[in-house]
Amino acid sequence: MDLIRILISRSAALWRRQKLDDELDEELRAHIELAVQENLQRGMNAEQARTAALRGFGGMTQAKETYRMQRGLPVFETLANDLRFGVRQLVKSPAFALTAILTLALGIGATTAIFSVVKAVLLAPLPYKDPGRIVAVWTANPVRGSQPLSSTPGDFAIWKERSAAFEDLAPSYDNEHTLTGQGAPQFLIGYAVSANYLRILGVAPALGRLFTDMEDSPDGPKVALLSDHLWRTTFHSDPGIVNKVITLDGIAYTVLGVMPRGFDYPASVELWTPSNIAPSAYTDFNHTYIRILGRLRPGVSLAEAQKRLNDVEAQVAAAHPQTNSGNRVVLVPLREQLDGDIRMPLLILMGAVGLVLLIACANTAGLALARNAERQKEIAVRMALGATRRRLLGQFMTESLLLALIGGAGGIVLALVGTHFLLRLFPTDVANLNIPKLTQIPMDREVLLFALGITLLTAFLFGIVPVLKGMRTEASAAMKESSRGSTSTRRSNRSRSAMVVSEVALALMLLTGAGLVVASFNKVTNSDLGFKPDHVLSLQLFLPPDRYPSENPVKRRQFVEQVEKRMNTLPGVQSAGVVNFLPLSGFWGTTSFLLRGQAAPKQDQEPEADNRIITSGYLRTMGIPLLRGRNFSDADRDRGVQVAMINQTLAEQYFKGREPIGEELNLGTADKPDWWQIVGVTGDVKAFGQDQPTHADIYRPFDQLPFPLVAFTLRTETDPASMIKSAEEAMWSVDPNLPVLKAIPMDMLAGQTLAVRRASSSLISAFAVLALVLASIGIYGVMANAVTQRRQEIGVRMALGAQRGDVLRMMMGLGVRLTGLGVAIGLIGAFALTRLIGSLLFEVNAMNPLIFSCAAIALAAVAMAACYLPARRAASIDPMKALRTE
Amino acid sequence: MGENKSDVLQGTLDLMVLKTLEAMGPLHGYGIARRIEQVSDNGLSLNQGTIYPALLRLQQRGWIKAEWGTSETNRRAKFYSLSRIGRKKIAEETENWERIAGTMARFLAPSN
Repeated sequence: MDLIRILISRSAALWRRQKLDDELDEELRAHIELAVQENLQRGMNAEQARTAALRGFGGMTQAKETYRMQRGLPVFETLANDLRFGVRQLVKSPAFALTAILTLALGIGATTAIFSVVKAVLLAPLPYKDPGRIVAVWTANPVRGSQPLSSTPGDFAIWKERSAAFEDLAPSYDNEHTLTGQGAPQFLIGYAVSANYLRILGVAPALGRLFTDMEDSPDGPKVALLSDHLWRTTFHSDPGIVNKVITLDGIAYTVLGVMPRGFDYPASVELWTPSNIAPSAYTDFNHTYIRILGRLRPGVSLAEAQKRLNDVEAQVAAAHPQTNSGNRVVLVPLREQLDGDIRMPLLILMGAVGLVLLIACANTAGLALARNAERQKEIAVRMALGATRRRLLGQFMTESLLLALIGGAGGIVLALVGTHFLLRLFPTDVANLNIPKLTQIPMDREVLLFALGITLLTAFLFGIVPVLKGMRTEASAAMKESSRGSTSTRRSNRSRSAMVVSEVALALMLLTGAGLVVASFNKVTNSDLGFKPDHVLSLQLFLPPDRYPSENPVKRRQFVEQVEKRMNTLPGVQSAGVVNFLPLSGFWGTTSFLLRGQAAPKQDQEPEADNRIITSGYLRTMGIPLLRGRNFSDADRDRGVQVAMINQTLAEQYFKGREPIGEELNLGTADKPDWWQIVGVTGDVKAFGQDQPTHADIYRPFDQLPFPLVAFTLRTETDPASMIKSAEEAMWSVDPNLPVLKAIPMDMLAGQTLAVRRASSSLISAFAVLALVLASIGIYGVMANAVTQRRQEIGVRMALGAQRGDVLRMMMGLGVRLTGLGVAIGLIGAFALTRLIGSLLFEVNAMNPLIFSCAAIALAAVAMAACYLPARRAASIDPMKALRTE
Repeated sequence: MGENKSDVLQGTLDLMVLKTLEAMGPLHGYGIARRIEQVSDNGLSLNQGTIYPALLRLQQRGWIKAEWGTSETNRRAKFYSLSRIGRKKIAEETENWERIAGTMARFLAPSN
């Protein structure tokens, strides 16, 4: 209470100093007058009375000073003085102030911008109950490429029963639907989940209720939960949606509730339905389609749970060797699952931007040192006049802080602009990238606090060096030195040299890293996709099972045939074709196969290939070369022989030089074979992006295996995007009730696949360029200052016979030594650091000698240029003038 | 200046001011200083000027109030008086001081 009152009263006094001073004067005058009066009454004469009054009062000035100290906030008043002085100092040397502020603003701005993304993505609180214990459970097997993939219902049932590490385990699987009766028919990404799945996540619906365990049974009622997005768009935020009936795939479902906004796991799901897994399915160890979510028991670590679950799986594999041998269970924390492929690039960018910030600090420290050297005389005078060292250091720190705060404010503005560009890291509506959705990057309290934090940190980092130096300043020495105006002291040279060396070293590390990343990106973009993505439009659809049931293949076949025919006759279309899993679309499926004539491999080692079902026009439309044999033809439909094509990878891996054409593939099981005759070999397609490995592919004709997922591809003569409308109309002229899942030109899809790589590559190059610019400014500043300070020394040398060339060599020699040392340290640092960016590299060795030497040469060249200008100025000093000026 | 004048102990001046105001009612700075000198029978070496920072300190705490009034010499002078909080604080501070004085007395008493 008292403290607050005191603070208020004291702060208030800061603003009324003049008035309060006057009042104090008046009060004290009244005091003296009263004393004089009393003394006169006691019989003193006027003179005596006054002297006695003043003696009784004590030191007048002292009393006033004590009073003033008591009245205001002396610390703040000193600070205000320092600030005023600091501002005057900065205004007096605008070049220094502007360079320093701009440097800091760039450093702080870039760091803050990247941090805001890191915070929004990697640090944002997850809207789930105790998310640290939620994990996704995957099965990895060498025959499926050792990738973490879905599991079988059989495995799930046993894990749930036997693994004590989990509080709960819940199954889920993809379940697409077509919604009708709400305007245009709509294809919805749906997810079937068990009732406890939503309980593990700990989400409560925004409207209505979740489904119960009773409702999640094979003969349970048809119920559904809507996503916030679906409810807002298609159902126009209908507040009475709960218990309304909607039509999915021609079947009536009751809406139980609407999930809260921000509930986005798995990403892009619009609709949740009960999993309705029949108990009989829990003996199925063949079909891998169950995605499992689990909640760890409290106190059980991820590694421990993973080990225990793998022990259980080892028992399962012993009991079911055909299906489960080699299975490995992989647990992924929910956070990593959500972050997907953006995590490493973001961390790498954060590191890169941290280096930029360090360079900015070194740069400003160098500038501040140079300027303080010029202020030696001022400091000496102030010390001689009685300024304490502490007071001077406070002054220095205040000036550093002032610079940093102005720079930091500029940085926040830059960061605000920057986050707009960073949003491009997160293309929305991209199905083929595993990255979280991000629609905005907020500049919130935490980000601003972070910006303030690094501002103070930079102020400390670049302020501390001049301060430490200032501590050693001796008034007399400094005055002597500056009056003599000779060579600068060895010590001040050394700390400035250290700044140059560290700037060069840091910039080189960044430049090398950027070089590796950019080289990788070029390799990726220039590497062949295996098809020609330009001038190809794709149109993905899903044939709803209610109108295109699998028992009626003719209907699917007729639809595709008619649409393809109409698309082929559209003006501007060269050819059209169909595929089930469009490359780069994010959709894919695999099939296991066996070769005839070989000793049947052990059943647990059945090879797998990607399953592609196409029409005969597909290869031509996509520009996929047919290497050997023949394409499918209309004749295959009725010939009765099942035909297939394989890609080169499959041919090389499994036929090893033998002619595959005419051979047969068993796509069933050893007991129930399903033979397909190979008629052709196609080129490889990078269906998952240029930087991903090629899979073995098996192509089969749509006519023989009508698949419900259909992507029409059209090779166009003009811009494919302009053809979307007419292509859709051609499709709707056959079936007006089919929703288009996605219509997009293939080159755009290819571009989206590389979005993260492209963005991180351009960002890291931008940071490297920034580092280079900052470093060259820093080197130039320090060298230029060295020349100014050694003006007289150079004059003396020249007067004693040194040639211009000698002076140039002397100054350049200093630059070369510093740059050389910086490059050496930088190369060592780069060797140590580039291993960390492996995930951004592609077919480029992290130790690539060419890139290392290019970066070193480029940096050395820039550093030399930054040294040359001041050195030339040194060489053109007129000795007479230099010696005369003091 | 007598040899046996004591310095004013830190913190005691505040209580002296409060007690003075309690006894005398509203008073200007000079009046307070003179009163303290008189009560102490000139036994304190008090620079009258030091009374002013003390008055400010008490004002800042809200224990006393100040008002401009007219002095005996017909001049504008600042008159100080106890606030409501100040009246309460006197009791507390007095008790506090007595405890300290009592403790000191026990230390100084000849040991038995």
